[in-house]
Order: sequence, then C-alpha cells, then structure tokens
Amino acid sequence: MAQSQGWVTRYFKAFCKGFFVAVPVAVTFLDRVACVARVEGASMQPSLNPGGSQSSDVVLLNHWKVRKFEVQRGDIVSLVSPKNPEQKIIKRVIALEGDIVKTIGHKNRYVKVPRGHIWVEGDHHGHSFDSNSFGPVSLGLLHAHATHILWPPERWQKLESVLPPERLPVQSEKESLHGSP
Amino acid sequence: MFFPGSLATTLKIECIVEQTYGPWWQSLHRTMLRGILGKTFRLVGYTIQYACIAHCAFEYVGGVVMCSGPSMEPTIQNSDIVCAENLSRHFYGIQRGDIVIAKSPSDPKSNICKRVIGLEGDKILTSRPSDFFKSHNYVPTGHVWLEGDNLQNSTDSRYYGPVPYGLIRGRIFFKIWPLSDFGFLRDSPNGHRSPGD
Repeated sequence: MAQSQGWVTRYFKAFCKGFFVAVPVAVTFLDRVACVARVEGASMQPSLNPGGSQSSDVVLLNHWKVRKFEVQRGDIVSLVSPKNPEQKIIKRVIALEGDIVKTIGHKNRYVKVPRGHIWVEGDHHGHSFDSNSFGPVSLGLLHAHATHILWPPERWQKLESVLPPERLPVQSEKESLHGSP
Repeated sequence: MFFPGSLATTLKIECIVEQTYGPWWQSLHRTMLRGILGKTFRLVGYTIQYACIAHCAFEYVGGVVMCSGPSMEPTIQNSDIVCAENLSRHFYGIQRGDIVIAKSPSDPKSNICKRVIGLEGDKILTSRPSDFFKSHNYVPTGHVWLEGDNLQNSTDSRYYGPVPYGLIRGRIFFKIWPLSDFGFLRDSPNGHRSPGD
C-alpha cells in the first residue's frame, strides 16, 4: 500500500513539473513565434481557398516577423477584425502609412492612409470585407504574417508578397522592397 | 543553433585532446568542458522557462505598469504605478467607466491609458459644452470611445476617433504608488457624458 502511494505521489510531482514547463513554453511559442490556422471564406481567392468550402487551406502564421510591426506592400497578413474583436481576418497589405490609395467601393474615392495604419484588401474584390468597408486599420491590430500554405499537400507553397499592378498606391511616401511606383 | 553546433565542437575538441595529450589532461578537460556545458544548458533552459511563464502571466493575467503623462489627472498622476489585469479583455468584460491600457492607434509600439466613455452603439456627445448646437456621434461596432480624465490636456478619441476593441491590452483597477493614493481608482471626475446626455 505504501509503495503504490509513493508511486502515485512521484508521478503526480513529475506531471506537475512537466506541466508547468511545457504549457507556458508552448503557449509562448504559439503566441510569439508561429502557429497554424485554417482559412475560411472566399475573400482571398484565388491565392487562398480556391476550392471554396470543399477544401480550406491551412496556413502557417509567423508572429516573429511582425513583432516590430514591419510589413511590406503585398504581404498576406492576419489581423484582429476591427468590427468584431473575437474574429481574425486574413487579407493582403495594399498600402502603408502615408500612401494614397484609390479605393473600390469606399465612400471616398481616394484615401490617404494615416500614420500607424495600413490598407488591407482581399484578392477577391467584391466578396471581401476589408479596408474598402472599414477604412484603414491600425497596425496594433496586426496579428501575424501568413508565409506558407501547409495543407492540402498539393497546395504546399510559399506565399509571395506580390501586389497586383492595378492596386499599386497612387502615391507613396515610404520606400518598399516590392513594387513601389 | 547553439546546441547541436556546440555538441559537435565539444566532441571534436575531445578527440583532438585524446590524440595529442596524456590521460591526466584528458580527464581534466573532459570534466571541465562537460561541467561548463551542463551549467550553460541549465541556465539557458531556466531562462527560457521563466521568460515563457512571464509572458503567459503578463499576457493572460496582468501585471504592474508605470503610467506617464498628464492626461489622466487627477485619477492617475505622472509616474504612478498601477496594477493592470487582462482577464476582462479576454472575456469581453470591459465596462463604461473602466480605465484601460490600449495600444496607441497611431503608434503600435506605445501604449495609452484612458477611460472608456462609450461602448459600441453608444451615442457620444462630441460638441463642447459652450457650443449652442450639440453634435453626437455613434460609436461603431467593435470600437470604444476613450477619453482622459484631464480633458484639457488629453489626446484621445476626440482627436483620433473611436478605438477598435482589439487594441485594448488590459484594465487598470488598482494603484500601488504613491502610497498616499494606494487603493482602487476613483470614478471619472467628469460625470457621465455618454448615453442619455
């Protein structure tokens, strides 16, 4: 009897030790370094979810790259939705602070992106709830940079930071590595 | 990466040492190297573990914050130290009248400390009391209206508009320094300015 109690206590202590090491490290890793997420919706077709609801893409979200809030035009990023803080949305960065964008369906034809904000759009214009609906978003809402598609295996690829030429900003203040006018 | 590289280097050094030197030097070198390496690994392991625990505590539970600036006087003075908790943010329990810490909308690397005047859907009085025609604004969904207690000296939602809820980091509920002002924080000195005004 005493022997089995000793075994249980030792097992319990080892479990607690492992738990208090493993859980904070795992949580910190998923919050600060990288995590994966399933993409839902058609707002980023054809780059993400080209098959619609039949097969959702799973993407790798890289938090480490955006820890200093440095993004480039053309990056696909995930951010907290400004209209619903419980939801995360995934869109492409079209313009950075200081740029003037020509909008599609926004109440103003041209918008200058204020300091500390970015302009995001889904690739599937017209089926996307993006900056054309809610305006420029604050960089503080930035969550992660989507770098690769991990699933389904036939769609393994690195997501490129390309900006379609018709969506280049009309005028830009900041220099960028990819396609500035 | 630190670990595999150093292990390979250690093994290589040990092989060279065995070939060139005598047995006394070999055993000394081996124990010294293994001792230092073991200690380094343990130190790095503990640092990572405590850093992760600290991250989880600050992110999900709360922490101690020092506030600077005059925009929340007299409730919070410059260089006061306060306690903030993050549970309200995660459970969406922020109320009107709460003092919150949020990321600044125009500079994501800095934080602002203001009071919540209105939640989504509230009608906010945006005209000054001296104006004849009163103007109102509605707070959009997913946003809050923040104002400092020191209305004359505060850059807040009256300047940059409603703030998205996702920018809120935590709620301040207790002041711990200076000791003369120790305790829970007072209500706004400006009365209630939002719904029904």
